[in-house]
Parts: sequence; structure tokens; C-alpha cells
Amino acid sequence: MTAATTTPEAAVGVLPRADGSAKYSHAGYTVTASVNGPIEAQRRDEHAYEAHVDVTVRPAAGVGATRERHLESILQSSLSQIILVKNFPRSVIQIVLQIEDSPENDYVNTKLVQASLNFAIMPALIQTAVLALLSAAVPMRATATATAVATVRQGGATKTIVDPSPREVETAQSVHVFAFTSHDELLLAESEGDFTVKEWDDSYETAKAICCRPEPTKEGIAMVLDDETTAGPDMRHFLRLAMETKVASDLYWK
Amino acid sequence: MAATLSFPRPVFAKLSPHPYLLRNLSPADPVANPPARTNGRRPRESRPVHVNASSLSHAHGSALVRSGDTTVICGVRGEILPVSQIPLFRPRENHYGPAAAAAAAAGDGPDGLGLGLGLGRGELKDYDLLVPNIELATGAAPQFLPGVPPTALAQTLSTRVYSLLHGTGMVEGGDLRVWFRPSSAAAAAAGVGGEDVDMGEEGVEEEEEQQVVAYWVLYIDLLFVSFDGNPFDAAWAAVVAALRDTKLPVARWDPDREMVVCSRTETRRLNVRGLPVACSAAVFVEKEHGEAGAGENRHWLLLDPDRLEESLCREVVTMVVDCSEGETRVKSIEKQGGTVLGRELIRGFASVAEERWNEVKKAMK
Repeated sequence: MTAATTTPEAAVGVLPRADGSAKYSHAGYTVTASVNGPIEAQRRDEHAYEAHVDVTVRPAAGVGATRERHLESILQSSLSQIILVKNFPRSVIQIVLQIEDSPENDYVNTKLVQASLNFAIMPALIQTAVLALLSAAVPMRATATATAVATVRQGGATKTIVDPSPREVETAQSVHVFAFTSHDELLLAESEGDFTVKEWDDSYETAKAICCRPEPTKEGIAMVLDDETTAGPDMRHFLRLAMETKVASDLYWK
Repeated sequence: MAATLSFPRPVFAKLSPHPYLLRNLSPADPVANPPARTNGRRPRESRPVHVNASSLSHAHGSALVRSGDTTVICGVRGEILPVSQIPLFRPRENHYGPAAAAAAAAGDGPDGLGLGLGLGRGELKDYDLLVPNIELATGAAPQFLPGVPPTALAQTLSTRVYSLLHGTGMVEGGDLRVWFRPSSAAAAAAGVGGEDVDMGEEGVEEEEEQQVVAYWVLYIDLLFVSFDGNPFDAAWAAVVAALRDTKLPVARWDPDREMVVCSRTETRRLNVRGLPVACSAAVFVEKEHGEAGAGENRHWLLLDPDRLEESLCREVVTMVVDCSEGETRVKSIEKQGGTVLGRELIRGFASVAEERWNEVKKAMK
């Protein structure tokens, strides 16, 4: 079983005390998020015209270090773009992301503090944060979907792997993370490795096919054809499905 | 004389920086005064880079990089890490042989992996042989206060530098190994001839025992002397210049004293592969308080933003390119904080980064 074949799973509203929460697991990563807000801001976080988005990332083991600070800054700048922060001046929207499980790489020594960037976990963090924000009913301009793509050179040919495992990330030629809004705009692009602009473009196409697959207009032939031509999970559909399930179960209250 | 209601330029800039920059970028009469930024540069104009290598006398390699009012100094210091002090040290004999080296050079690791990523870089990462640290000096910019823990900016910067150091593979683990090669000593002993039997046996035994006894750990410390925007480009240029300047003393294992000894006179230049150069730009959008993404919002791509521009821009893009092998190889793309930059703009940004690469390459000579 490879990571690419697993389907994402999500549960919305798992924490009773938080305004909104979500649990998401995909490709070996499990993340739980809680969202509180808009709440009153402390003096130093207060902004006269918009809400401050406060993101905290907690690793599965140990305390957060420089790598988590970097992830937080990426998430903070991306999420404050899709949240309607102008609606809540002088307040804070607090997002806490707890990493519960991450796949292990048996080829390297396990160290608590790994300073290098963790590309593969970024999509899981973004997806969980978006689900939790939806669960907290925070007004947003758009939702976001994200995915990680790795390019691996085997023999003479290059191969694209969706949702790479830690070992695949380590041995890959290049690793890319893309996030798109629901308006098909590129929200976040992080790439590392050794690649050309053309290769980046190809990875972009692959990621866009996963994150921004158009909604099938009607049941039938068109949908079947879609499934044949594109591989990988359909993130936007998954996000919609997770919320639909939650709403349906909430309505069924008797 | 009646008091005038118009402000002089500095007051306008201080009171409402966003309209001030917008007015400069979109002048009423573009023929008479062409669009410019508040610092006088054109939108796609970067500040010239000055590099001064070997400016610190006690470091193994150092460089001072200045780009406008952003000044950063980088010192590289090597320290010996004996393998006996590494927890979970795993000697990988099969990787040390000449066959493995040839395979790595051919860009094809033993597992058929590209660029030998698993080999030298595994050691670098496993044993933390590269330790970058960034300090933003108090007084470098007004927002840095004395006596506070490292800010999120400093932590983010050092993570990015660390990640890129490993991602680009500039330094190979092989260059940081300190070897014990008994074969040469044994050969000298055998060359005398007619020695007693014990000596010969020892020689045979030891010939197989060519082994790594220690590693060099490179402490890469960066200090921002003055900070005026675009910290990553300057920091990365300083790291590259300092590593290219690094000369480590020749080290060998002394079996009698059971320790690593360094030569006082002989030094060896650190082998640095490639010349990756970072190029950053910020996106300035017309409407400060308008809805992000609402159409009809003009934008400008400001290359090499200064501190004022950085405070007014949300979206930033950084591209690291290396053109030293003829073809342009992209080492890293980081784009965050907005939705203006799409696929086309990022593709176009590659040519801007290539120009920047040529500028920085000239400065490094």
C-alpha cells in the first residue's frame, strides 16, 4: 500500500469546548485543529482595521522549535488571505494545530528536533485548518485545498509522486507544495530541490488537477471519464463531502 | 501668511505610507516623472550588492554582504566532532568505496536515486554537521528590541537558510569527514623490509581499517548589522560567500594520542558546489483595505523590497536559482501571502532571478 492510494479522512467538530474543530488524516499524517474566534485581542496583537490570525503548530513529540515557527508564519500569511479579516477589527482568530501522527522514515536516525522544512505535512495542516475554520463558521472569502508533489528520477525517466512519504521526500529530485483557493487562484507555492521552470510547471498541473478538479455537472458519462483521466484524490470534492456529512448529521437531531 | 494644508514629502510618507507609495508608482503625469518607488528605484530594480570576503580574522571563512542599507555578516567556524561522541553513529562502509563515489558523481545513487541525495546529505542531516544561526542585532532596525528571545522572523530565516543549505547540496558530507588511513603508515613500515612478523600482521590488519574518525561541524553564524528589508537574499548571499571563502585546517587522526590533530599551516579549501542566488520580490496592491482578490486591483512587483515596502506588502515571492552550469536550475520557490502571483507571473519571475544571479556573481568575484 502506498501513501498515494489512501483516501483522506476527516471528522468535523470533534472538540466540544472549542468554537470549531476538525481532525484530518491523510498520507500517514493525522492533525487535529481547534479554532476560537473572533475573540478579544491582546494589546500587542491588536490591529485597528483587521483581525489578527494567530496560528500555533504543535509537533507530535517535543515542543515547537524554529521549524514550527516557520510553518506557523506560512499558515498565518495564507489563512489571513482567505479569512475575511476586515470584518473583525481588533480581534483575534486563534488556530491551534496539533500534529498527532506522522509517518516515520526508517532510513534516518529519529531526532526530536529536525530543523529542515517538512514539506509533506503542509497540505495536512492547511486542510485541517480550513475544515476547522468552516466548523467554527468563520467568514471566509474562499476555501483552500493543498497537496504535495514530489519528482523522483528513476533511471532516465522522471516520475511524479503525489503525497510522498518521508523517504520519498528525502530521495526526491524536487518537492513541491501547492495550495489553491476555491476560485482556482494559487495561494501558496513552496518548492525545494533541483528543477527547471518546466518541471515546476508540470508539478503545478498535477497539483491543480488534484486541488481544483471541477465539480461534475451531472451524474453519468462525464463523471466516469473524469475518473479515468485524472489520478489522485479530489481534494475539493473531499472538503465539500466532509462538510455536507457534518451538516446532514447535525440536521438529523431527533 | 496663511498656513498651508499640504504636507512635505516625509510627513506624507510617515502619516499614510500606502497612498504615498501608490502615488509614487502611479504618477499623474507618467511622461514627466516616470513611476518610481519611494526609494527612487524603478519597480524591477534591485539594490547593488557588495561582497567582502575574509573580513573576520578568527573564523575559517567569512563574508560581509551589503545591499543598500541591509548589511549582514556571516562567519563560518569549523569544529571537530569525533564519531565516538555521535549517538547512534552508523558507519556506512558500502557508501565509502570508490564505486559508490563514482555512482554518486554520475548522478545515480546505489538505489537508483537521483543526485545521490541519500549519501552525503544523509550524514549532514543525521549528525547536524551544518548549524546556521541568525541574529538580528538590536538597533539594526527600530522593531528589534533588546533582551527579547529570537523573534519569529529570526527563527523563520534560520529555518529557511538551514533547509536551503541541505536542499541545494552545496556542501557534501564527504568533504567534512576526517579519515584515519593506516595504509600509508603501514606501507612505510613494510617498505623498510625484514621487520619482525608482528609488524607485518599489523599492517595487513590495519589496511582494511580505513575509517572515518571524526567530522567537521560548520557553525554558520549570521549577524544583521543593519536591516532594511529583504533579509533572506542578503543572508543567503552571505552564507554562500562565506562558505566559498572557508578554508579548513588539514586534520588527521593520531593513533598514539587517540585524538584528531589539525595542521597549523596546511589548509584545505572547502569544496562548494554551485552558486545558488536568492531573489525576492513583494507584491504591492492598489487597494489597501479593499477585499483581497476583488477584481480591478492593480498591482506592482517590487524587486528587492526595503523595510517600508515590506510593511505594506502581504504577498512575497523568493526564487533561488543557479545558472553556474549553463542551464538555469531552480533550487527553491517560496510564494505566500496572496493570490496575485499566479503561474504566469512566477514563470516570468525566473528571468528576473537570472538577471539577479548575474549581478550577484559579479559581486562575488
